[in-house]
Amino acid sequence: MKYHLITLGCQMNIADSERVSSVLEGMGYEKTDNEEDASLLGILACSVRQKPIDKVYNKIAQWNRWKNKRNLITFVSGCLLPADKEKFLKTFDLIFPMSELGQLPDMIREYGVVTPAGLKLPQPVMPKNEHIVSMWHIKPKYHSTYEAFVPIQNGCDKFCTFCAVPYTRGREVSRPSGEIIEEIQNLVHQGYKSITLLGQNVNSYGLDKHGREITFAGLLRQIGDFGNTSAHEFWVYFTSPHPQDMNREVIEVIASFDCLAKQIHLPMQSGDEKVLIKMNRRHSMDKYRRIVADIRELIPQATLFTDIIVGFTGEGEAEYQNTVKAFEEFKFNMAYIAMYSPRPGAASFRWEDEVSSEVKKDRLRSLSEVLKVCSHDYNESLLGNTLRVLVNGTDRKTGLSTGLTEGKIIVRLDRHDDTLMGKIVNVKITSASFLSMSGEVVHGK
Amino acid sequence: MSLMKPDLQMDESFYKIEEIRTLTGNAFSVKLPKVRFAFKAGQHISLGIVGGNQSREYSIYSGENDENLEVLVKEVENGYFTPQLRKLKAGRMVEVHGPFGKFGMEPEAAKSGKFVFIASGTGIAPFRSIVRTYPEIDYQLIHGVRYAEEAYDSHEYDSSRYILCTSREKKGAYHGRLTGYLKTCAFAPETHFDLCGNSSMIFDALEILREKGFDRDQIHCEVYF
Repeated sequence: MKYHLITLGCQMNIADSERVSSVLEGMGYEKTDNEEDASLLGILACSVRQKPIDKVYNKIAQWNRWKNKRNLITFVSGCLLPADKEKFLKTFDLIFPMSELGQLPDMIREYGVVTPAGLKLPQPVMPKNEHIVSMWHIKPKYHSTYEAFVPIQNGCDKFCTFCAVPYTRGREVSRPSGEIIEEIQNLVHQGYKSITLLGQNVNSYGLDKHGREITFAGLLRQIGDFGNTSAHEFWVYFTSPHPQDMNREVIEVIASFDCLAKQIHLPMQSGDEKVLIKMNRRHSMDKYRRIVADIRELIPQATLFTDIIVGFTGEGEAEYQNTVKAFEEFKFNMAYIAMYSPRPGAASFRWEDEVSSEVKKDRLRSLSEVLKVCSHDYNESLLGNTLRVLVNGTDRKTGLSTGLTEGKIIVRLDRHDDTLMGKIVNVKITSASFLSMSGEVVHGK
Repeated sequence: MSLMKPDLQMDESFYKIEEIRTLTGNAFSVKLPKVRFAFKAGQHISLGIVGGNQSREYSIYSGENDENLEVLVKEVENGYFTPQLRKLKAGRMVEVHGPFGKFGMEPEAAKSGKFVFIASGTGIAPFRSIVRTYPEIDYQLIHGVRYAEEAYDSHEYDSSRYILCTSREKKGAYHGRLTGYLKTCAFAPETHFDLCGNSSMIFDALEILREKGFDRDQIHCEVYF
């Protein structure tokens, strides 16, 4: 009895997939990477862009063809827009929100039973997200032995015009802080080195509880306090925060505790005030600038990552140049730059996608060049320094081991050594290039 | 367990329409039972038609203490959602989620601050909610519309505080775009500005206020899409 699970999209889906695996393996299913061996086939879908949704349609068409030859059950969950959900009801055997993951065993066992009530009752357009809390009670089956993702918040109340997440995940719901701390403590005791707190708006943590839960800064402080008493070395990251809810207190807390990684991912999306308004980002460039100034003042060694959309509706050349200027000003270490594509369900889908794909490609290319210069300058400043590096992979071309600094800069090591995998080692930086560095392993802490 | 009366809704997020109130040829308000729906003046909700697969966001038009939850809607010609919404009769269900957003002010600020509200068209909605919630608030409301009939429920505002700018007819206090009026105004340095409406009005008003020397932190925006 084997299952095959395809996970598309962001780290939230990866974290969710660990809980899906846990539920299925609790039922006696065994995971297989070969979908042809599986009798249960599932997808955690992503609706942020069209491409992953197209993949779901292609996959289910293929799986349904296989049903002529063997018995299969298919399911889909994750981020689904109402319109896609309606279509998937006809093609997948099971469809459920993550908040109902706990009922998946019953759904699989009772598969084939269709109740008329289930077909007739109107379903809300926005998913009910309150029950997500019970999904968090499921102990995940972590994919890695040294890196883990811990969901702390789910859903989004921000309504950025380019995004459909409020309609796929539902309202912001925070996980109880006690559960989060407990999961982190367990992970650290098991030897996990890199722990990422996850949420669609991770730093909006606690706001939905109106004073009945600690704030995001409070949560980080509790994690930091635990880190100070732990004999283990580990780094805690978080993604993705929204600038609207970012404040100086959060940055002060990160500066105060060793286990809170000195890497901050702060999505900017655009460097132009008008485009930000059109995106309904609810923060100004002044606000973003103040946050970065606080980071530079309180954590000068921190690396800064961002998310950018180029070619959004209303982004002319002058607006795009403001994003270029912002890159030069903030000197990001890494930027995830995406070309705008209208997403059904998002408000901007109703607008004309007025920037041509050629212009979007040009902007993506030229902004990447600016990023390269900024990151190269930073990496070069680290030459000769000895840094702590978490070894996490192998370079495909050279076969040498690779890792990440606390600031999540890629480092290629001077050797291939499987025994270093998942360990934090000292590496002396010997060369720097765009977006990565090389170095030699130095023994001793 | 549902906390609502069973005759009002099937689900906690489903509400029965009490009234569709016609305001102009293409603007109307949707009145719903408020029941236990708590919100802060200035916030918005997501509204969907039960059985449909789309929803839209609307600023709340009623005050925090009003009997009904009300939103102001402009019908979009050949649109998908608003023509369907307008056709709904009292008793039909809509889906409501929220409240969302941080537009508006804290009660303490409403007591002591000086506010200029700048709205285009149905962007007046959050300001009606604010004025109804804080009747003593020190405000000036600059409302830009094309025709005077779009001065939705303007009789409710103190006439010395409400400035109607009409761009297509000479019936308002100012004939022309509200941005034209804004350029002629002088404001106290401590004024807070709240802008709500379409993005082009907000861009222009923002620029005028910045040119007048106001800090970006004094200007709060809520964009309508």
